Amino acid sequence: MIRVAHYVNQFFGGIGGEDKADMPPRLVEGMVGPGKAVQAALGDQGEVVATVICGDNYFAEHVERASEEVRELLRPYKPDLLVAGPAFNAGRYGIACGATCRMAQNNLGIPAITGMYEGNPGVDLYRRDVYIIQTKDSARGMVDAVNKMVTFAGKLLRKENIGRPAEEGYFARGQLINETADRIGAERVVEMLLAKLRGEPFESEVARPVYDRVKPALRIKDIHSATIALVTDGGLVPKGNPDKIEMITATRFGRYDIKNIDTLNPEAYEVSHGGYDSTLVRQDPNRLVPVDAMRDLEREGVIGKLHDTFYSTTGLASIVVIMKKVGQGIAESLKAEGVSGVILTST
Amino acid sequence: MRLELNTVIIRDIQFADKTMVSNGVLHVNRSELEGLLLEDPRFSRVDIELARPGEKCRILQVGDVIEPRAKTSPGDEDFPGVVGGQVPVGRGSTCVLGGAAVVLSDYREKREVGKSTDPSGEIIDMSGPGAEASIYGKTYNIVLLPTPSDGTNPQEYQAALKIAGLRTAAYLAKAGTGITPDATEVFELPPLTEVKAGFERLPRVVYIFQILSLQFDAIPGEPVLYGRNVPGIVPALIHPNEVLDGALTSPSPTLNLQTYQIQNQPIIKELYKRHGKDLCFTGVIVTTAPNNMTEIERVSNMTATLAKYTVGADGAVLTKTGGGAPELTMAMTAQLCERLGIKTAIAMLHMAADVSDPRYGATTIFSMPEVDAIVSMGVPFMRLTLPPVERIIGRAGASAEGPVSGEIVRAINNIRGTLCQLGSSRLKAVRY
Amino acid sequence: MGIPAVQLSAVIAVAEMVGSNRIMLAQKIVNPVGNADLDPVEEKKLRRSMVKKALTALQADVEKQTVLR
Repeated sequence: MIRVAHYVNQFFGGIGGEDKADMPPRLVEGMVGPGKAVQAALGDQGEVVATVICGDNYFAEHVERASEEVRELLRPYKPDLLVAGPAFNAGRYGIACGATCRMAQNNLGIPAITGMYEGNPGVDLYRRDVYIIQTKDSARGMVDAVNKMVTFAGKLLRKENIGRPAEEGYFARGQLINETADRIGAERVVEMLLAKLRGEPFESEVARPVYDRVKPALRIKDIHSATIALVTDGGLVPKGNPDKIEMITATRFGRYDIKNIDTLNPEAYEVSHGGYDSTLVRQDPNRLVPVDAMRDLEREGVIGKLHDTFYSTTGLASIVVIMKKVGQGIAESLKAEGVSGVILTST
Repeated sequence: MRLELNTVIIRDIQFADKTMVSNGVLHVNRSELEGLLLEDPRFSRVDIELARPGEKCRILQVGDVIEPRAKTSPGDEDFPGVVGGQVPVGRGSTCVLGGAAVVLSDYREKREVGKSTDPSGEIIDMSGPGAEASIYGKTYNIVLLPTPSDGTNPQEYQAALKIAGLRTAAYLAKAGTGITPDATEVFELPPLTEVKAGFERLPRVVYIFQILSLQFDAIPGEPVLYGRNVPGIVPALIHPNEVLDGALTSPSPTLNLQTYQIQNQPIIKELYKRHGKDLCFTGVIVTTAPNNMTEIERVSNMTATLAKYTVGADGAVLTKTGGGAPELTMAMTAQLCERLGIKTAIAMLHMAADVSDPRYGATTIFSMPEVDAIVSMGVPFMRLTLPPVERIIGRAGASAEGPVSGEIVRAINNIRGTLCQLGSSRLKAVRY
Repeated sequence: MGIPAVQLSAVIAVAEMVGSNRIMLAQKIVNPVGNADLDPVEEKKLRRSMVKKALTALQADVEKQTVLR
């Protein structure tokens, strides 16, 4: 008999609406709300032994802490499986479901499953770590979603081979695994071209990435009083790489003091970037982060001020979701520091 | 032009007093071959080793791999511009020692990131999972280990190494001349003016073949096309037989594309197979992949223009060499072709996000709606655990990564012959 | 309210793909704001002119992705 723990938010837990979104996690024995659908799907294979209900704001604002609290509430019930949501299109709920599943996998050592609609931000944040079943965008899809989630969970529990995302109904997790096709690549590419030439349908083996668009920020009206910051993804770091910025698939950025520095001294810097020949930059770091030219322009009053620090990360084989966070981090710092504009130099 | 490839299958190799082939065994006169290669003053010493499939043997610092081939028709020359003189290749007959390979092992110990004279530390295992996954784990390998002489700089050494490999390939295959081949393949394609005759209904397909990536410095003196390196060339139309018959080699660092794979060019062979039935094969355009935007745009433009207005192609297959900038060049070329009305399909390796862990998945470096027919050649960074070996071929102590004769874990990118940018493997990356 | 940013890149196709709004063509991947073929004085002049041009991008009204060459 599988012991199942269920996570729901304040709304599906029957506590309240937005007014209760700040409630901390609380545990109720047995099933609540959509837990009934979970139990129905489990049949006599399992039992929903405990449900944790938590406010969406409480969780989304303190993901780490809330995850720990949920963990401690569930631990005594020794669940074999965690089911979270489904969250459909609710963003904060999606984040809570993703985080709870990840906590269950990492800290309780049990399989976990949730369900979201494709537009839910929780999908991109957690898809790599957690299996997320694709659902409709509202609770009208509840029974269907829960059935899919529980069926899939069975495979996880039995440690069966998990098939492809489209077949099993989960969001692709960003893993690329090599398989052996029935024919060599050369035959497949000629075949694909012939299908295209004949106007027949074909399925590309590689998907095209689609990137979001950002509204351009307003221009600087008075450059002479503006503070301009330099940012780079060329991996320029102080000697010794104190922040240990990775030379590939970086996960962090550094901010480095250039107050009163007229020009970057090659002795003081190195490059942590595996994707280009950094010889020329190491000879003269200004070739990547143009401190010397900017300092001249500052002195001449062309700009108000060259910002006291430059920001650096490494752009090579980066993961989009991670770089978005890096970018956000840099942007938040710059904003707090009163910067008016950025020159970003890329390699 | 008509080319006959006569394959003599090699089932064993050994050193002997005379270089010859008999009963499928390739005998190699080691000192004669050594003497031949030492004619190049850039080497002070040349070691030659043999490695057989099944041996618990690991070959280190592998550069290029070349299939032994030699012309057998009178008046024809091996590897024109390198070994033989300048005459057309792709015609007449060629002896191929199938199942054998000349493997070049680079002597250097240190790794220099980002430079073309980088000894890549790629290996070949002759048994175990590494051998199963690789072409060269199954071939009888003649490994050349030249040492540079004093005063020979890294680029000169690399050029000399390539030339030594080609000379050895021709030298060995000459021993197969006169032997009844085990298999014969004929490749025949008339000139452009005649090729469509009788096939007017069939779509005209051209193959756009990237042969050099300028991410890495082109090594002066390394023979790539008819004996010279080609960093500045404009897109050029050539006959597919020239590719199959020794006009072209893979420039160092031969990433996931060795001369052996070019000699056995799978795209060309497939287009030949389909010629006259599903398509009309109208030739090969060789191009480079530049390292700056202006040149990328120029090369893409010239290639697409050549394909459309001179070759008159309806469709094009594109492949690349090297890494990211070449992928972009290939995509831009394909996009331009599409805009001119040429349908395209491209083949690519994925540059996965993390060297040590392919969990992160990959995206393409381009995103163009027209470039929508893409075939995956696999993810280079999947890892294999390779068992300990009893024999190492390579300069002693060479390899940046520890005791290399024990059990080691390597990305397939580092194992020569597992991947192929031209699609000779059945690997395909699938999204999970 | 966002901070305007201009991206200097030798490979502008990628900057366009990922959605940068103000893009300027840099020299080369290996030295975006430099040119080792020039003598140091000339190189610094080049850097200065590139940076000044980048500043004009920050002062420009853009409604969609714009590339300065």
